[in-house]
Formats: sequence, structure tokens, C-alpha cells
Amino acid sequence: MILATLLLIPALAAGSIALLRNRRLMETVHALAALATLGTGLTAAIRVWRGKTEIIALDHLLRADALSALMVTLVTLLGAIAAIYGLGYIRAEFDAEHTKQARMFFSLSQVFIFTMLLAVTTDNLGVMWVAIEATTLATVFLVNLHNTQNSLEAAYKYLILSSVGIALAFIGTVLMYYAGSAGSGEIAVNWTSLHAAASRLNPQVVRLAFVFILVGYGTKAGLAPMHTWLPDAHSEAPAPISALMSGVLLNVGLYALVRFKAVVDITLGSGYSSRLLMGIGLLSLAVASAFLLTQRNYKRMLAYSSVEHMGIICLGLGFGGYWGVFGALLHVINHALSKSLLFMLSGNILLKYRTTDIRRVRGLLRASPLTGGAFLAGTLALMGLPPFGPFISEFIIFRAGIESNAWVAVIGIALLVVVFAGMLASVNQMLYGEPPDKLERGDVLKWSMTPLAVNFVLLVALGLTLPSALTNALKQAIAVLGG
Amino acid sequence: MFVEIFPKLVNLLASLAVGTAFLLIARRDLRGQVRLFAAQSFFVSILAGVIAVFARSAELFAVALGLALLKVFIIPAILNRAVSRIGLQRAVAPYLGAPAALFVSGVLVALAFYVMAPITASNPLPTADAVPVAFAGVLIGAFITVIRRRALTQILGFLMLENGIFLLALLATYGVPFIVEIGVFLDVLVAVLIMEVFIYRIKENFDSIEVGEMGRLKG
Repeated sequence: MILATLLLIPALAAGSIALLRNRRLMETVHALAALATLGTGLTAAIRVWRGKTEIIALDHLLRADALSALMVTLVTLLGAIAAIYGLGYIRAEFDAEHTKQARMFFSLSQVFIFTMLLAVTTDNLGVMWVAIEATTLATVFLVNLHNTQNSLEAAYKYLILSSVGIALAFIGTVLMYYAGSAGSGEIAVNWTSLHAAASRLNPQVVRLAFVFILVGYGTKAGLAPMHTWLPDAHSEAPAPISALMSGVLLNVGLYALVRFKAVVDITLGSGYSSRLLMGIGLLSLAVASAFLLTQRNYKRMLAYSSVEHMGIICLGLGFGGYWGVFGALLHVINHALSKSLLFMLSGNILLKYRTTDIRRVRGLLRASPLTGGAFLAGTLALMGLPPFGPFISEFIIFRAGIESNAWVAVIGIALLVVVFAGMLASVNQMLYGEPPDKLERGDVLKWSMTPLAVNFVLLVALGLTLPSALTNALKQAIAVLGG
Repeated sequence: MFVEIFPKLVNLLASLAVGTAFLLIARRDLRGQVRLFAAQSFFVSILAGVIAVFARSAELFAVALGLALLKVFIIPAILNRAVSRIGLQRAVAPYLGAPAALFVSGVLVALAFYVMAPITASNPLPTADAVPVAFAGVLIGAFITVIRRRALTQILGFLMLENGIFLLALLATYGVPFIVEIGVFLDVLVAVLIMEVFIYRIKENFDSIEVGEMGRLKG
């Protein structure tokens, strides 16, 4: 029941916002729905973790275990933060004459949240695919919300590349489904039944299927070399949407990948998927570091950094073992918190300077101290410096790597140093120096930034402690994945 | 009788469907291309109907009817509407000429047989022999999306890829469950409607539907 409610709230909100004329009313529905979704999501997640159980609804169509609970928490929490920040941002970007765009933003944001929640709470792998494809369809107009030539190009590329990529994931799903029905004689595309039949699947078919899954869902997760749509789409979308696309949507792609990995590892042993994940992880890191060294657009910088962090998470999953997967899941949380924080702040910078060019943003710390300070802290977190969460998770991942695949880990760390140098140089240019003369001093959207404190506090907390509630939750999620 | 000719019929219809993809590569005018997609969808729906009769599956028969309605009539109608609205387009040389593209497609067919070998080898269904043909359809669809410059032709490539995947699922497992199929149909319909809007927006902004005109986002 609670899972159905969780999906119903954003679905109903999307529908009612689409019918509204009054801007205030739209904003109210949008914010209240986001908070209600957060409340419901947290209740469901805590019920799963506390009871060490799973919630099943609608005749096994919906199912939430500890891994789903983790994703639901991330989606609803960051969804709520982005929604509150979005109220101010959209007011600043679209005046009374652009109510149509505002309505589209609020309504499609809710559809976007709905599709992500459906993807992580369904047991049916076909429905999961449909939901993930629908995330693309829900966000493509959001990427093109400003209707400029650049955003049009970004949205079109995003639509075509993601659709083709995800189509490959459907082939993988069909092949797994085929392997399942041929092995057990019964026809079911539920993850639980596939997982139960995993040891009897035809290994050759499973091997082939996983390649399709990796390329297909890897496209949605922004892994190189299928990442080419990502810097365009994430940089052209309005800030709250960029925050959700980089912070959670990429993780939904990874989530799908990991679900299949759990099955594949039982059939083939973990060596096969590990090698593929380490390869694609290193490649993503390498590609991202190359583009981060010479980046001139701060939103693209953040986007490439997402490719980098997805690569790091893949490395953790590839290194495997309890600590490799633990580090990967923890890094999912840390990256989501820090990247969404930075993308929302990038919205403030864009509103202030009206440019995404790093060279034309000068003296950010002086012009907008609050935004600048938070941007600095967020970047330090993202680069993996203490006392922030990503430092801990990257440390855990690479320590696991040194033990299992030392060379891969060493190359990974070397690439991280390159990323560090590139990002530090770019951010330095923005933070210091004299702000342009005609620029008014002071922060924009001061009050809208309040919810970002949640990201900040959690990032510091995760950098200083590992609460036992979190460790337990992650332990249960790892158990789902067979660790 | 039916049991004997069934695998041959399946092979024939699958090959016809993929054959239309070859024709699409050679064809320049947009209306002709849309007609070819409709023809491909027609062959695929007939094939789904034949398999539904053979497997005595009412659900699959319903899916075949749905497919015919959606991809033989509704989607081609949407695309034809788009062709009328954007008017006559000057034909521009594609990234890869027709002879070279046809040659690559031939290579893709061979590749498809190689990749799908484990499926045909292990599959007890009488339709399994045609699985590589379906996968060839997927590859050629993706290839068309990559090498053609016009947005509409790229969309047709994507739709042919979709047809290929449907065919693959049909031949390997007699189709995926009903609820998933309905979800996929819905996704495809929404995707085509969105793509239609994008064709208009690209035309408005760049005064052409050449995707190559867009190329500012780099690095």
C-alpha cells in the first residue's frame, strides 16, 4: 500500500499541476507533493531497513528491498531539496509571461520523480525498463526548457542517444528473460524469480545479455564511451533538473545495472562482470579527466565530473568484495549529495553572471560570498578532500582495490590526481579575482538556498562518522546484491 | 502442414522486414521512407499474428493487432503529418553514401549471425533460426540513426531498431509479457510525439532538419 501511495503522490501532483492556471497554486502543489513523497519514501525505507524485510504490493508488480530503499531515500530526499530550491529558481528565470514554462517545469519534474521511483520499486524487469526509458521522455523537454539553439541540440542528442542506448538494454532484458524461461520453463520477468533461477541459466546467453545490459543501462548511467549526451544535457537543463539528473538519474541507471549484476554473478561467478565494470570504470575516469583539464564551462565541468564519479563507483563494484561494494554504495550517496549541491549553486552563479563561461566568472567569493563559499566547499568535497563524505567512500573503494586489483587502483588514483588539478584550476579562476564592475554585490536566491544546508550537513556528517544505522542499511543492500 | 511450413514462413517474414531496412538506406525521399517503415511494421505484425496462431496465444494476437494499429497506421500518420508541415526538403548527401552503407549493412548481418550464435544454438523454439535476422534489423536501425543527417530519417532508424527488438523478443521467447509490451508501446508512441515536436523546433531554429547544422556543443 505504501509503495502505491509513494507512486501516486507525484503522479497526481503532475496531473493537477498541468491543469492549474495560478502560479502560486502550482508552486504550493509542487512543494507539498515533494515533501509528502519524501515523508512516504522515508517511512517505506525505514520500514524495510528496521524490519530487515521487503515490501511487496500490487501482486508482485511493486517490490522494495534494502537496495530499493536506498534509492527511494535518495530520489525523494534530493527531489524535495531540488523542488524547494526550484521554487525560487523558476521565479527568477520565468516571469509572469512565461507561466507556460513554469507549469511545464513543475509538472514534468513530478513525472520525472514518478518514473524514477517506479524504476527502483518494481520487481518486473520489463516495467523497470519502461520506467527508465520514461525518465528520458520526462526530462527531454526540461533540458529544452529555455528553447535556445544550444538546449535544443542538447535535448535532441539526449533523446536520440539515450533512446538507442536504452533499446540495447531491452535486448539484454529479453535475453535474460529468455535465459530464465528456457532454464526454468516458467515465464516470468520478475527480478526475484530470475535471481532464484540464476544458477540454472545458460551461461553463454547470460554473458551476451550482460554486455547489452552494460552498454544499455551504462548509457543512462553516463559511463564512457556512451556518455556523449551527458555533458550537453546536464549543462543545458535548468539547475534543479541538472541536480536531479546528475545526482539521482545516473544512479537509477547504475541501479538497473547492479540488479542484473547480482543475477549474472550467480550464473557466471563475479569475475566476468568485475572485469567489464573495472574496464568501463577506468575508461570513464580517463575520458572525464581529459575533458576536465581544459574545461571552460562550469556546468559542463560538473557534468564531466559526474562521468568521473560514475567511473569510480563502477571501479568499487568491480573491485567487489564486501568493502568494494560498500564503498561504491556509500559513494553513490556522497556523489549524489555533493553533485546536486553544486548543480543548484551553479544555478545561482548563472543567474548572477548570466554566463556559463568559467573565464567570465570572476571574484565569485566577493560577489556572492554565500554561493561562492558553498561552491568552494562542494568542490572540495567532490574532489575527495576531508572532512567531507566522498573522501571516506573513495578511500574505502581504493583500499579495496589495492587489495584485489592493485594496478587498476593505482591507475585510477593517478587519474583522480589529474581530475583534481583540472577542477582546482577551473574553480580557482571563478572564486578569486575582481568581480566585473557592473555586477551588484550579494547573493541571489538567498532563501532558496536554505534546503542546500541539508546536503552540506550530511556531507560533513558522512565525512566525520559512519552512523551504525547507515552501515546496517548498506549491509542489507549488499546482502541483496549477494555480497 | 502448418507446423512444417511455420519455420519457413517465419524466416521469410523476418527477412522481408529486415529487407525494408536495406531499401530505406537507398531511398532519398521522406514519404517513401515513411512508407517503408510502415511496410516493415506490417511484416512484423503479420509475423506476430502467425506466431500467435501457432502458439495459440490470445495475448500475443492482441499485441499483434496493437502493433499493426500503432506502427502501420498511427505512427506513419504522425510522421507524414510532420513531412507535410516541414515542406519539401533539399536532399543532402548523407555522412555515408548508399553503396557504402549497404555494404556495411551486409557486414552487420554477418555480425548479427555471429553474435547471436549462442541463442540459436540453445533455443528449442522453431522460430529460433530467425533470431539473428531480427538482431540484424536492430543493428541496421541503429546504423541508419548514426549515418543519416535528417532528423526524420534518424527517427525512422530508431523506429526500425524498435521493430527489430520486438522481432527479437518475439522469435526468442514468443514475446514479452503483456504488461511490458503495453508499456513499450506507450513509450514508443510518446517518444515519436516528442520527436515530432523536436523536428518542428529544429526546423524553426535552424531552418532545416539537418542535424548536422547543430554542432555547437563540444568539449
